[in-house]
Parts: sequence; C-alpha cells; structure tokens
Amino acid sequence: MRRRAAAARAVPARRAICIGWLLGLALFFCAVPGFAQAEDAPRVAVIDWGQAQTLIAIGAPPVAMSQIPAYNEWVAAPDVPEGVRDLGLRVQPNMELLSQLDIDVITITSMYSGLRERLAPIAPVKTIDIYDGQGAVWEQTVESTRRLGALVGREAAADALINDTQARIDACAAQVPEQTKPLLVVQFMDARHVRVYTQNSLIGSVLERMGIANAWQAGGNYWGFATVPLERLASIDNARMVVVKPLPVGVAEEIDTSVLWHHLPAVNNAPVLYVPPVWGFGGLPSASRFARVLVDALGEDCSAGRAGS
Amino acid sequence: MTTPWVTPARLCAGFALLLAVLAACVLHQNSAVGIAALWADGNDIAGVLARYNWLPRVTAALVGGAGLALAGVLFQQTLRNPLAAPTTLGVVGGVHLALLLGTLFAPALMLHARGLVGFAGGAGAMALVFALAWRRNLAPTVVVLAGLVVNLYFGALAVVLLLFNEEALRGMMIWGAGSLAQNNWDGVLYLLPRLAIAGVAAVALSRALALLDLDDTNARNLGISLAWLRAASLGLGVFASAVVIVELGIVGFIGLAAPSIVRLAGARRLASRLVWAPIFGGLLLAVTDQVLELITLNSSMLIPTGATTAALGAPLLLWLIPRLNLAREPGSPPSPAPRSQTPGRLVAVLAIGLVVAVIVALFVGQGADGWDWPFTRPWDETGLWRVPRVLAAGAAGAMLAVAGTVIQRVSGNAMASPEVLGISAGTGLGVLAVVLLLPGAGVPVLLGAGMLGALASLAVLVGLNARSDYEPERVLLTGISVLFLFDAVSKIVLAGGDPRTQQLLAWISGTTYYVELPLAATVAVLGLVLFAVVRPLQVWLDLLPLGMPTARSLGVNVGISRLLLLVLVALLTAGATLVVGPLSFIGLLAPNLVRIMGLARARHQLAGAAVLGALVMVMADWVGRMLLFPSEIPAGIVATLIGGSYFMWRLRRL
Repeated sequence: MRRRAAAARAVPARRAICIGWLLGLALFFCAVPGFAQAEDAPRVAVIDWGQAQTLIAIGAPPVAMSQIPAYNEWVAAPDVPEGVRDLGLRVQPNMELLSQLDIDVITITSMYSGLRERLAPIAPVKTIDIYDGQGAVWEQTVESTRRLGALVGREAAADALINDTQARIDACAAQVPEQTKPLLVVQFMDARHVRVYTQNSLIGSVLERMGIANAWQAGGNYWGFATVPLERLASIDNARMVVVKPLPVGVAEEIDTSVLWHHLPAVNNAPVLYVPPVWGFGGLPSASRFARVLVDALGEDCSAGRAGS
Repeated sequence: MTTPWVTPARLCAGFALLLAVLAACVLHQNSAVGIAALWADGNDIAGVLARYNWLPRVTAALVGGAGLALAGVLFQQTLRNPLAAPTTLGVVGGVHLALLLGTLFAPALMLHARGLVGFAGGAGAMALVFALAWRRNLAPTVVVLAGLVVNLYFGALAVVLLLFNEEALRGMMIWGAGSLAQNNWDGVLYLLPRLAIAGVAAVALSRALALLDLDDTNARNLGISLAWLRAASLGLGVFASAVVIVELGIVGFIGLAAPSIVRLAGARRLASRLVWAPIFGGLLLAVTDQVLELITLNSSMLIPTGATTAALGAPLLLWLIPRLNLAREPGSPPSPAPRSQTPGRLVAVLAIGLVVAVIVALFVGQGADGWDWPFTRPWDETGLWRVPRVLAAGAAGAMLAVAGTVIQRVSGNAMASPEVLGISAGTGLGVLAVVLLLPGAGVPVLLGAGMLGALASLAVLVGLNARSDYEPERVLLTGISVLFLFDAVSKIVLAGGDPRTQQLLAWISGTTYYVELPLAATVAVLGLVLFAVVRPLQVWLDLLPLGMPTARSLGVNVGISRLLLLVLVALLTAGATLVVGPLSFIGLLAPNLVRIMGLARARHQLAGAAVLGALVMVMADWVGRMLLFPSEIPAGIVATLIGGSYFMWRLRRL
C-alpha cells in the first residue's frame, strides 16, 4: 500500500494522485478485517433495531444492520460489535451494499414488508413480528427471540436469553418497594406532548410482570403507545410519573415553569422518576434494561426517602 | 356571490356565538362543575386545567389567528395577489428550518432565544426573497415566484434533517403540525405585546398601503417609494407570522383564508379588512381548536389544530373558488429572455450532457469496499439495482418538465407547475390513505391508489373550472387547495409519531429507492407516448400564451384545447409522481431554465425542458445515492437543492 502511494506521488498529474488516493482508500477498506463468524452460522442482515439487539445478545451479531450511530444513541445496549456493516436508513437499507455482502438471510418486521419483494432476490427474507395489532406484545417478543435463535442455530442461547430476562425482571420485581403506586410511563415529545406507553407495549408488559399497575388505561395505537398533550394526563389520579429520557431540548426548563405539569396528580403525588434511555420498541434486552433502570430509580428514591426520614 | 345580509360584523358575531357554545361544551366535558371551574379553588386540578390550560389555549388561538390574518392582509394588499400568504412567501420554510437547525446544533441557543432563532429564519428567508426580487422593484409576481422557490428549497433541507434525525426531532414534527396546547400563560404573554405592536404599525401604514390599489404608475405619481413601502409592509407581515409560527407551530390556511373570506363578506376597503380579518382569523382558529378538543377529549389521538385548519380549510377554499371574484391583474408577462440563435444546438448539448450523466449513474458507484471502477463487480450487484432508478429518475424528470412547460404556457404564468396544480398532491393523498389503512400493502396497491388520487384531483379540477372556461388563476387556486389538503393530512400523520411515517417521509421527499424495473419501464413508455401526443399540439402552446382573444381569432378553440392540455398534464404528472413523490421541483424549474437559456418556441422549449429535466433528475439521483453512502438522500431533494440554487441565481438577473 505504501509503495503504491509512493508511486502515485511520483506522477505529477493531479488526476493520478486522485486515482491513487482512491485506490489507497479501496485497499484500506479491503484491509478492514471482516467480522469473525462461526463457520456454520448464517450471515444475517437485519433492519429492525429490536432484532439486531436480540441477535447481538444471543452472540450471533448480524453481518449488517441499519443506522448504527442512531442505534448507539437510542437503543444503547447491547453494544454493536466491531465489523458490523451499516446499511443506512432503516426505511431504505442499501440494496447494492446488501447484494455485495453474501447475505444468507435477511430478517424484517411487517413494518418493512414493502421491501420484501425487493430484498427477496438478494437472500431469503424472514418476517419476524412483535406487533401485529392483536397478540400480546410480551409473548410475541419471547416468540420472536426463539425464532431468531432458531434462525441462526442458537436455540440454546435464545432460551438462555429468555430465561435470563425473566430472572432479571423477577429479581427486579422483588426489589420493587411495597405500595408502589400505579406508574405512568411517558417520554417527552416536546414540553406539551408526551408519548404514553400502554399496557400492550414492551414497557407495559415489563410493568405487568413486575407486579406494577400501568396507570394509562385509555389504550393506544398499533405499536402500544399514545401521543397526547399533557392535560390528558390530568384525570389520572393515584399514579406516579416515570419519564424515560432523553428529554428534548428545553423541555426540562419549560416544564419547570409549567403550572399544569406541577398540578398533574401523577406529578404531585410523588417525585417524578427519571430513567435513562430505553428503546420502547426493542426486544428482550430492552425489557430487562427497563426493569433495571426502573428499579434503580425506585430504589434510589426509597433510600433517599429513608435517609431523609 | 354574497347575499346582502352577510356582513363582516355579522359573520364574526356568528362565529363568536359558536365559540361561546363550544367553549361551554368543552368546559363542561372537562369537569363536572363546567364554567365554574374557572374560579375554582387554587389547587383543584379542574381549576388549574381551566385557568392554565384551557383559557390560555383559547386566548392563544384568538391572538395567533389574528396575527396570521393580519399578516395575510398585509401580504395580499402589498402583492395585489389573493394567493399571497406566509407559506407562499417562504416565511414558514425559513422559520421551520431555523428551528430544526437550532434544535440539532445549538440547543443552548434554542433554550434562551427560541423566538429569535425562528424570527431570524423567517426574516432570512424573506430577505432572500427580497434580494432575489429587488431588481424587479419587488414586482408581485416575481416576489411570489421567489417565495415559492425559497419555501421549497428550505423545505427540502428540512426534510433531510427530519429524515436523518427521526428520533431527535419527533417533537418538532408536532410543532410543525401546529398543536395549540398550552401549559401556562407564557405563550399568550409572548404573542400579545408583539402582535399588538404589529397591529399598530399596520394601522399606521394603512393609508399608504391603500394607495397600492392604484396601479404602479399612479401610485408613484403620488410620491410613494413603492419598493420601500412594499418592503416595510412585507417585513411587518413576516414579523407577525414568524411570532405566531414560533410560538404555536405551523398553522396553515388562516393567513390565506381569513382575508379572502371577509373580503367576500363585503369588507372591500383595506381599512375594514384590517379590522375584520384579524377578528375573523382569531375566531376561526379558536373555533376549530375547540371542535378538536371536543372530538379528542377522551381518546388517545393527537390531532394538531394547525394542520387541521388547513385540512378543513381546503374544502372551504374549493367551495369559495367559483364564488371568488378574481380581479385579473394586468400582470407582468414573463420578461422576454434573450432568444438563442441556435436552439437546435443548445438542445443537442443538453442531450450529450444527459448521456454522460446516465453513463456515470449506471457504472460508477460505491460498494462494500469503497469506490468501484466500472465492471469490477458483477452486474447483478451493481447495475441491476441502478437501471430502474436511473430510468425512473430520467423519465420522471422529463415528464414533469414537459408537464410544467405545458401548464406554464397554457396559464401564461411562470409560477405554474404540476405540483401547484394539485395532481401530485392528489396522488400523494391516495398513497397516504393506503399506508394508513392497509399497513404493509405492497407497491402495486400503492401505485393503484396513487393513480386513483390523481384522477380524483383531476376530477375536482375539471368540475370546479369547467364553467369558468379553465381560467388560469382559478385552476391554480384549485390546485393549491388540494396541495394544502395533502400537506395538512401528511402533517397530521407525521405528528402521530407512527413508526411507519418515516417511509412516508422518504417517499414524499421524492426517492427512487422503491422503484422496480417494470414500474420504471411502464413510466418511461407512458412518458414517451404522452410526449408523442403533446408534440402535435405545439401550435396551441405557441398561440395560447398570446391571450384568449388573439388565440381565438387565430382559430384555436380555447376551451377544448385547454381541457385537453390539462388532461395531458395530469397524466404526465401522475406517472412521474408515482415514482418520485409529490414534491418535485423539476416541473417548475426546467421550463423556466430553458426559457432563460433562450429556447422561446414551444417546440424547442418542450424538447429542451424534457432533456434538462431528465438530466437534473438523473444527476440528483446519483449524487443522492453517493453523498452519504450507505444512507441515501432522496433524488427529489437533491434536485431541489441543485436546481433551486441555480434557479435563485438566475432569478436575480431575470
């Protein structure tokens, strides 16, 4: 590579330097070590973050997945191993790139079913769904984990993840203080609107399994959430507010001065719990992450309360 | 026309009564005590809701609606154009883009000076529009043309930001749809003093502005500096609309509709419009908002008011169009561009450019190992994917350019384009309906629905305009109403935060990503057939711009020729929209560019525009695929950015 670059430098024409640079760049990318795969494991490409997360958690990371930088910001855990290729936007995985990566199987959810026929010539496409508008999200999430495990030949690891998640949630459930009020789990869209997670969402399912009541009973959309203005929360008595971070710019300051926010029963009843980012449409890793951060928040609150009293 | 018993005062009184009834209903629904909640005990949640949520909300709607209507009156009076509004003048696009950029890159600034950021954006956009139109003494048509271009340009940039920062900008989508929800009195306290200043200034200017009803020469004889008067009045309008948009989000339609409606109700003089339009605008917004409150009270839906006013307003506007007395302004015809002596050679040069662009787009690209030389990778890993996209981009570009040329010649209006006609928006509505009602529907269903939507909007166009003999202004107004409707519905959908909306956003912004070979081939063949049909009609296209009497005396049946040409435009647009989404820019851009280049005859303009449209779209598609590889920027957006820059640069010397 160095010799080639030196040769290019010797040629005076600017064009030659440019070509040499591009060639060097190509060689550099060739030299990037491919991700070490187990011999018989199929090369999988995924689009949905929940599936990517699950595959990484059962030790069979995909060859390629969508929007890795955004995943790091919003899903956060588990980390994407080095060498996984970025396919670009989730709605538009790069077809040319996909066709060049010798993919064995592509997994999608029905949200991306519009892409199915386009992807089919590249590799067999598997649709593995959590949200179908009717089934219980928790059972579907467990089932999709099993199917992903079977897909990559790691059934045992998938079962282990399922059991481990359940054990973790149970462990967290045991730490939930008694007399925990029903929780209202929200994520701020802007200072006047929140996304509330319904019972049939991943977050709602975790609450249920931890024995905590979900204060939002009004239902929501296909994906298990409702986007509502703050005043819609005013009628919910006897609940406690849980805010999933990150907060959009300026929201913390604006709700601080908001008379309505401070008079909401769910805010007034008890201090608001703020928890770190959790991907509400993820797989089991997101579920156990939510259980942990929630218990941490509740626990901190308890110890603080005890210290205070 | 209006019956004598409708006067602006009675109209407003009626709406005020309606508002009172609705308000009582909402309060009653909110709590058992009803209106008494307003003076309930300090810590009672019903009282807090009524005093810090409901009352500020109604007040903000009244004040904000008034501000927008005031801006609309100023714009329409200054530009002597019933279509002038914050949206058509680039203000909305500027504010929107500035707030998005602020949220992403300067959160600290947004925290302390959100209003300033938004106003800077709106003022910047308007300043750009002024700069572009200054040499033409801020002539009304040139200003609106520049405003539309700037709006599209900033809109394209905003879509790129939304596409790549989906999660971070979710809240901005709600703001973009104009939800009026309030938490305290801060919003009203922000709006009230600023809009009061704007109102006083408008009254101070009103006497001079009334003279703009005269034509330019007469007004100038009275010793008025027209450019400065227009600048002052438009600047005031920008201030009023930017203040409202920053605080309440994008509230469509009020600025356009309130002035028109009070004028229809009999407020003909500027002074009376300055009084009644803001009152009516405020009432209109507040009534809409309270109706929505009632509807969504116990559901989990979020229906943003701003977008809904636009959605409800569009049918109202359609109903108004046959009743609207459009004073045909003499209007400045498109300035004669230098005529090229060798039009044939110019078209040939463009064609060579197109061939080069196609070769590059097909054979050069990035892959798994960085940039590839042509033929280093197998065809089915590269070219196979590129052929449909290049073909579709080229065909769509050419079709839109031809459609744009035809509609501009038929209407004698350089601002006309297929998207302004509403055909692309009709297609968009059809596709939107499928995405919402049949989640997971395949591409063929989407295409069928799009075609149905296009035909429906064509039917509306013909139905409303047949009696008025397809008078160009009415046709354009009809189209803009449909565009409003599409814009509003898509904003309501985006605000709901449904994860599928991202795909919608991608299609709206004009990507060739979803195109497959059969579709691309179909569209290309359709394009060729339609182009073959247009060519024999070139005589009409040369004669119609000369004006109706001239054309008629030269033996053209104006009614039939217009209808036929409109149908052709609709088909061309529908075909292209299925591929590249409803917000293309090429139909406006290409015909104007080739005219500026010197292709004056219909024959040359058609051929040149078709080739240039294809060239720009193919280039845009390639650049969009390569720039952020492996992510893609939709071709429609890149085309807007490439073409828009050139267009703005040329507009200054138009």
